[in-house]
Amino acid sequence: MRTLRFTGFTLLEYVRSGRIILEIIATLVIFFVFLRRPGLGINAEYFFSVTGIYTPALTLYSTAAFIGIGDRPQGYVLLSRGVSRASYLLGIFFGTLVIVSSSYGLLSILTVILNPPPDLDLLGWIQGTLPLLLNVGLLSALMIMLSPMVFATSWRLLVLGLIALAFSNNFIGGTILMTLPDWAQSVLRAIQALLGGPLVPAFYGFQLAVTRDYTTATAVVNLIAQLSLLLSLLGLAIYSFSRRDLIFSHQ
Amino acid sequence: MERGVSTDVIEITDLSKSYGSVQVLRGLSLRVAAGEVYGLLGPNGAGKSTLLHLILGFLKPSSGSLRVLGSSNPDSVRPQIGYVPERQRYHTRYTAREYLRFIGEFSGMSGLDLADKVDIELHIVGLMNDADRKMSTFSKGMLQRVGVAQALLCDPALLLIDEPTSGLDPGGQREITDLLTNLRDRGHTVFLCTHYQRDIESLCDRVGVLAGGKLATEAVVRDLRALGDGVLIQVDAISTELRGSLEAIGRGVICDLRTVRIRQNTPQIQAMVLHRLLDAGAAIIALESLESPLEQLYARAVRADTSAHRYEYQTNSSDRTISPSPMNSPAPVIPPPPVTRRPNEGDTLLDELLRRGSAQEPTQRTGSRETGADDAEPNV
Repeated sequence: MRTLRFTGFTLLEYVRSGRIILEIIATLVIFFVFLRRPGLGINAEYFFSVTGIYTPALTLYSTAAFIGIGDRPQGYVLLSRGVSRASYLLGIFFGTLVIVSSSYGLLSILTVILNPPPDLDLLGWIQGTLPLLLNVGLLSALMIMLSPMVFATSWRLLVLGLIALAFSNNFIGGTILMTLPDWAQSVLRAIQALLGGPLVPAFYGFQLAVTRDYTTATAVVNLIAQLSLLLSLLGLAIYSFSRRDLIFSHQ
Repeated sequence: MERGVSTDVIEITDLSKSYGSVQVLRGLSLRVAAGEVYGLLGPNGAGKSTLLHLILGFLKPSSGSLRVLGSSNPDSVRPQIGYVPERQRYHTRYTAREYLRFIGEFSGMSGLDLADKVDIELHIVGLMNDADRKMSTFSKGMLQRVGVAQALLCDPALLLIDEPTSGLDPGGQREITDLLTNLRDRGHTVFLCTHYQRDIESLCDRVGVLAGGKLATEAVVRDLRALGDGVLIQVDAISTELRGSLEAIGRGVICDLRTVRIRQNTPQIQAMVLHRLLDAGAAIIALESLESPLEQLYARAVRADTSAHRYEYQTNSSDRTISPSPMNSPAPVIPPPPVTRRPNEGDTLLDELLRRGSAQEPTQRTGSRETGADDAEPNV
């Protein structure tokens, strides 16, 4: 209950700070540039392709803004009262989720009213929205976990390094990979496979949002994987935040 | 609190805290009894805020033990602690009433009880008329009063206050000091950190000086206050005979060839010194106030922050001495007499001088004329 109250408190603070204007403007721009398209119709796949790229981008901004609000000395007073560290972090997370979801909701409503995709009904919208919002949560949880108030610098660098390694097949591949010794190629491939594993649900989630293909069990498994990964990241962030010395930035 | 174990609200034993290679607290030991107002004095960067954050559980000790309200788990007793942070950093996009209501809700209060409690605290801190104004329009003093109100909202057993008057103008400082003085009557145990000695003198029962990461000195504020400010009297010359006569008044009277220092001051000692000077025909050139006993205590502790002495001030009707408590082996030494000039002090001495001077020969009043005292009293 206190988590919800703190989420409300943080959201109100965010709205009154005026930062939300940027989200509203960005959403309107995205709609009028990519989704309004006078004279050109859009289909469901196009809608989810646009929103599947826009919502993670918006999540980056909104999460950073919420972390900025949370990572201030003002938080000491709240934490000295009944707000636990877990509630504090979850309040930031849920606040971000509400803002990004609302922006997505606004985008959806504008699209339905002004340029509805003929092949998109309510069920299809829900099927596309579910993996899309899980990706939003995943990205937000990852950012919160990597914020200075949660992870120490050394841990942040380590996690970012691992993420870079997981993506390294994009820039260490093909002919470059062939120039490496065999043992190095094997180690790199193993590391990429190992570290890239957790990224699969996120990528497949995007694909699922666009295709909305729920005919196989893979779709459900992926949703479960997305949710599990999200909960793991949040759990790790809360664990770290609860145990470490609490030193907010901007002192 | 676990009953029958201790009446101390804060029990800190050999507490150390490091940030990487920087050691902030080095084996600090401290106790604060229930109902006591304890002031921790220390220069900026001494570790006062770190200590408060350790008590609140925001930081974890590197070593040593810390018990608050009978528990070594700060999270379990935090609802019983009110915290007024250093500087006025609050969520200023809310009105004072909104903010306090949220704080109350976070603390588990709700409904009419919360609304009433918010009104009561707003009234106590004098913000009732500004309750529905955005806090971004508040002065620093008003924000600090909001801080006090939020800390009191849940009737805490322990109130932690960090630099209550820091950054405030003199008027704001006076407002907060008056407010906190009134709050003493509510019976909270208060642990106050500051680097302003005035806060300690007006608010606290006991004072400790944090220096070098340790508790360098502790004293009872009432006893310090009873000593009064020291006085320096400059005269044209002091004969050996006069010097012996003056120093016989008490250990706190120290003379050299041209000055008399009254270190452990009372109106009676001042009067005696003055009488003997005037009787001996000494011309008084200047009167200056010395550092207050608290200032002396602080200065000495900060200068020699490696020694941890506890002083116990014992007084009697005619003389006051500083003696060590049994736990300390080093002999107590009254701090050396650093002289600071503060205008308009030493009035007691001046009054006495003027009263005495009216019955003296004109040749005996040369010095007081130089102080300007005669200008205020043409009949002398």
